[in-house]
Amino acid sequence: MTNTYPTLTQCAVVATALKILLFPAYKSTDFEVHRNWLALTHSLPVKEWYFEKTSEWTLDYPPFFAYFEWILSQAAAFIEPDLLSVKNVNYDSWQTVFFQRSTVVLAETVLIYALHLFVRKSPPDSRRNAQAAALSILLSPGLLIIDHIHFQYNGFLYGVLILSLVLAKGPSPSLLQSGLLFAGLLCLKHIYLYLAPAYFVYLLRVYCLSPRSIFRIQFQNCIKLGLGIGAIAVAAFGPFAFWRQVDQLTARLFPFSRGLTHAYWAPNVWAMYSFSDRVLIYVAPYIGIPVNKDAVQSLTRGLVGDTQFAVLPDVTPRMTFILTLAFQTLCLVKLWVKPTWDIFIGTVSLCGYASFLFGWHVHEKAILLVIIPFSLLALKDRRYLGAFRPLAVSGHVSLFPLLFTASEWPVKVVYTIFWLILFLFAFDRLAPPSRQPRVFLLDRFSVLYIAVAIPLIAYCSLVHQSIFGEKYEFLPLMFTSSYSALGVVGSWLGFMVVYFTS
Amino acid sequence: MIMSGPNSSHKPRKKRKVDAYFGPPSGHGTILVDPATKAQKPAFPLVAFLWPAKGTVSQWVILPLILMVAGLFRWTTGFWGYSGFQKPPMHGDLEAQRHWMEISIHLPLSEWYFYDLQYWGLDYPPLTAYHSWLLGKIGSFINPDWFALSSSRGLEDPILKVYMRATAFISEYLVYVPAVIIGLRQFARIQGTTSWEASIALVAFLMQPATILIDHGHFQYNTVMLGFAIASMSSVFAGRYIWSCVFFVASLGFKQMALFYAPAVFAFLAGSCLFPRISISRFLGIAVATVISFALLYVPLLLGALYESYRGIAQQPLPAPPLLVSLPMQFDENAWYYPLVLQTAQSIHRIFPFARGLFEDKVPNVWCAIHTFHKLHQYSSTTVQRAALLATSAAITPPFLILFLKPRKDLLPWGLAATAWGFFLWSYQVHEKNILLPLLPMLMVLAGEGGLLPSTRAWVGFANMLGVWTLFPLLKRDELRVPYAVLSLLWAYLMGLPPTSLSVYQSGLGGGLTAPVKILHLSFYLAMVVWHVFEAFVAPPHGKPDLWVVLNVLIGAAGFGFCYLWCLFRLAEESGLLRKKRTAGNSKEKGRKDQ
Repeated sequence: MTNTYPTLTQCAVVATALKILLFPAYKSTDFEVHRNWLALTHSLPVKEWYFEKTSEWTLDYPPFFAYFEWILSQAAAFIEPDLLSVKNVNYDSWQTVFFQRSTVVLAETVLIYALHLFVRKSPPDSRRNAQAAALSILLSPGLLIIDHIHFQYNGFLYGVLILSLVLAKGPSPSLLQSGLLFAGLLCLKHIYLYLAPAYFVYLLRVYCLSPRSIFRIQFQNCIKLGLGIGAIAVAAFGPFAFWRQVDQLTARLFPFSRGLTHAYWAPNVWAMYSFSDRVLIYVAPYIGIPVNKDAVQSLTRGLVGDTQFAVLPDVTPRMTFILTLAFQTLCLVKLWVKPTWDIFIGTVSLCGYASFLFGWHVHEKAILLVIIPFSLLALKDRRYLGAFRPLAVSGHVSLFPLLFTASEWPVKVVYTIFWLILFLFAFDRLAPPSRQPRVFLLDRFSVLYIAVAIPLIAYCSLVHQSIFGEKYEFLPLMFTSSYSALGVVGSWLGFMVVYFTS
Repeated sequence: MIMSGPNSSHKPRKKRKVDAYFGPPSGHGTILVDPATKAQKPAFPLVAFLWPAKGTVSQWVILPLILMVAGLFRWTTGFWGYSGFQKPPMHGDLEAQRHWMEISIHLPLSEWYFYDLQYWGLDYPPLTAYHSWLLGKIGSFINPDWFALSSSRGLEDPILKVYMRATAFISEYLVYVPAVIIGLRQFARIQGTTSWEASIALVAFLMQPATILIDHGHFQYNTVMLGFAIASMSSVFAGRYIWSCVFFVASLGFKQMALFYAPAVFAFLAGSCLFPRISISRFLGIAVATVISFALLYVPLLLGALYESYRGIAQQPLPAPPLLVSLPMQFDENAWYYPLVLQTAQSIHRIFPFARGLFEDKVPNVWCAIHTFHKLHQYSSTTVQRAALLATSAAITPPFLILFLKPRKDLLPWGLAATAWGFFLWSYQVHEKNILLPLLPMLMVLAGEGGLLPSTRAWVGFANMLGVWTLFPLLKRDELRVPYAVLSLLWAYLMGLPPTSLSVYQSGLGGGLTAPVKILHLSFYLAMVVWHVFEAFVAPPHGKPDLWVVLNVLIGAAGFGFCYLWCLFRLAEESGLLRKKRTAGNSKEKGRKDQ
C-alpha cells in the first residue's frame, strides 16, 4: 500500500503547534462555563449537579458530559486546585487557561483516531480522496475557531460522531458499536438528537431487520441493541431518575423560553425570513400592508427571547418543529428504501441541514452538524462537490462574528482563506466526474457566490467601521448572516437534488 | 472507475494533467526511493507537506498557502509576551521602538539623535528613524495617545500591542518575505534545483524559529535589515551588482548589525571587478551606486537639519558629540554647514557605541566564554578592543580572501556565513540576537545543490537549533518559553532533526555524515536537552545564580565555533581549494557562466 502524504499524524502535529500558540487568544464565556462545570462536578455531590446555580452558567449538557468534566477535574486538582472552587467565578489564572486549553487539544485525539479509521476503512482506490476529506475535517477552520479560540469541545464530540459513522459501515458487530456509540454521544451533548432519525431508520433497516426482507426481524440484534442503549441510558440518567430529578434535568437541557433566532442570526431560513421582514418594514407602507409598530423596536435590538415580526406572520416553535421533521422524513424515506452507507451519510447531513435551517433558536456553531458529515461525502463525485462548495464558504464565514477582537481577526480570516484555497483546490482536482449531468446553474452560482465573500468580509471588518463608526452595528452582522444563509440554503437545495437523483 | 456509457451525453470536465511528473530521484535530498519496490517517499516531514504539490501544481497556489501558514505562526507567536512587558522604568525593545515613533513624529529632525538619550535615545541608522516616523504617523492616525510626546512612555494598551505586532508583521511581509522568495528562486536557478525544492527550502527558511521568536515574540524589526541583506544577495545571483549595493546600503542603513556581512559583500564585489578580468565599468557602477545610496540615506536627515537651522527651529544649542570633539580640526558653529557635520557625527556616535563594553549580558561568543574563566575587566578597554579587532580580522580573512580571489555567485552564501560567524564569535559589542546574521546565509544554502541532503541539512539544522537554544535565557525573560518550545520543536520535526527524529543521522541514500560529525552533533543535542532539564528542575548552587546561563554560553560558543569551521570548510571545498569528496554536479561551471 502506498501512503499518501502528508499523513494525518503529520498534519495533526503541525496543527497542534498552532493550537498551542493560540492558548493566550481571546476566549468566550464558554471558557468560564466549562471551568464552572469542572468546579461543580469536582466539589459537589452528583445529586446537586443539576441544581447548582452560583454561576449563571449552570450545567446544561447531559450527564455523560458532566462525567467527562469530572474526569478532567481529577487532573485539574494536580495542576490548579483553585479553579475547582464553584465560588471562584471568572477565575482564569495562567494555569487554568493552560489546563483547559490543553484538555481541548488532548480530547481531539478522538477525532484523529476516528479520521484515521475512516481512511483505513475506505476502499483502496478512493483512499486518497478519503485522506483529503479526513484532512479537511482535521484542519477545519470551524473547529479551530470554535474550539481553540472561542472554547468548546467539538473536536472530541465530532470525533465520537465520526467514529460512530465509520463503524456504521458494517459488518454487523460494528453496526451495534456504532449505535451504542451514538447513544453515548447523545448523552454527551443532546444537540445530536437532530441526527437521531437517520440513525434510527438506518439501524432499524440494516441491523434490526434483515437486509433482504423488511418483514424478517433479527430478534437477536434487536435485543442486543435495545439492551445496550438501555444500559447507556441507565448509566447516564439512572441516578438522576432515582433521585427524581428528571424534571429538573429536562428544564436544564431544553430551555424552550428562548427566541426563534439567536441574537446573532444563524444563517438559516429564519435569518432570510427576518431579513425579508426588515426590508418589508420599508416597503410595506407603499404597498399597503400593516406594520406592527412594537415589533419594529424589538427587531432592531434583536433581543433573545422575543422575536416579533413587523410585517410577516410570527413563527411558533411548533411550526419550526413540523418543518424540520417534514424535511427529515422526506430523506428518511429514501434511506429506508436504499439503506447504503453513502445514503446514510447523506441522510445524516440532510437531517443536520433540516434542523439547522428550520430549527428553533439555532446557534451558528451548529453548522458543523452539516459540514462535518457532508465532508465525508463531498469527494464522491463532482456533483456532490458542487453542492459542498457554497456550504464550505458560507458555513465558515458565518462563524466569523464569534470572534470580534482585533488580534484574532487575522487568525480567523487568514486561516479560513487558507483552508478554502487548499481544500477547494485539492477537492477540485480529486473529485471524479459524475455519471449524471451536473446542474449547470448551480456551478455558476457557486463561483459567483464565493467571489462575493471577499468584498463582504472586507466591508464587515474594515469598511463599515470606518464609515459608520459604532453606529448600525447590526448591519455587518445582518449582511454576514443573510449572505451565509443564502449559501447554506443554496447548497442544501443542490444537495437535495443530488441526493434524490443519484 | 469512470464510466461514460453511450447514454451520457455530457462530457466530463476537462481533465488536467494529473501528477504524472515524478522527476528523477532527486539528488537534492528530498526523496527517498525504496531500492526494492522503487516506491518514493519523503525524506523528512517537511517534504511530505509539499508532496501533493510535486509536479504540476502552480506556484501561484503553493506560494500563498506557504505565506499564510508562515503568517499564522508569526501572528500567533505575537499573542505571547514581549520584551519589557510590565517592567518599568525602562521596559524593553517594544517600548524603545514605540518611543522612536513618538519622538520622530513630534520632534524636529535635528533633535532625533539628541533627544533624552538616557531614555532609549535613538541609536540605529537613519532608515530605522524614517521607518519609525512612518509607523508613528500611521499609528497616530488610529490613536494619537499611543505616540503622544512624553505622556505615552511605557504605555501598555493591548490594542497598541496589536498595532506594534502588525507593523513588525507588515514590514516583514513587505521586505523580508519577497526578498527570501526571490533570493531562494535565484539561488535555486544558478544551482540547478527545481522550483519545488526551492519551495521546500522556502518553508524551512520562513519557519526558522529564531527569527520568528525575536521579531514577533521579543519584538524587533530585524527582518527588515535581514530582508535587505537577502535582496542584496539575490541581486548578486541575478547579476545586478548595482542593485546589490543599493540593497546592502539599505540594510546597513536600517541596522548597523548588517556590518557582519560587509567584509564578505565588499570582498565579493571588489573581486568581481578584478577577476576573471578587470572591469572598470562595473567598478565605477558599484562605487557610484554605493556613494549615492549612502547620500540618499542621509539626505532627509541632513536637509531637514539644514532647513530647521535656517528656520531657527532648534532653539537650544545641541551638544557636540565626542566624535566631533576628538577630530583634529575645528568647526565653526555658525557656519552654514555645521548642522550637517553635527548630525552626521552624532548619528555615527550613536550608532557605534564604542563606549560600551565588550559584550552585553551573556553572549555565546569567545569573549564571553573566556570571561567566565579569566576575567577580562582587568585589561583596559583599548587593549580589549584591539584584541577583538585583531581576532575578528584573523577570523574573517580566510573567507574574505576566497571570495575576493574567486568571486563566484554560488560561493556568496558560504562566504557570508563564515564571515558572520567570525564576527559573532570574535567581535566587539555582540548581542545574543546577532545570531540571526550567520544563520541566514546558512538557510539560503538549503535551496542549493544537494542542500537538503543529510550532510548539509544536519549542519544547517544544528546551527539553527543551537542558535535558538542560546536565545532561551533571553526568551525566558520575555515569557516566551512556550512559543520557544513549540516553534523550535516544530522546526526540528519538519526538518527531521533531533530531538524529534534521528533520521538525518541514519545512513540513508548517500550524502551522509562521517561518524565524528554524528557524534559531535548528537552530543551537543544531548547537552541541550540535559541543560533544559536542569534549568527547569534544578536550582543553581549558592553563589552561582547564573550557572545555567553560563553553561548555555559555553556550550553555545563551542558549537558555533564548529559551525564557523564547517562554513569555512565548505567554502574552501566549493571554491575548489580542497578536493571535493562528493561527485557534485557542475555548479562550478554554472557559476562561471553566470559571471
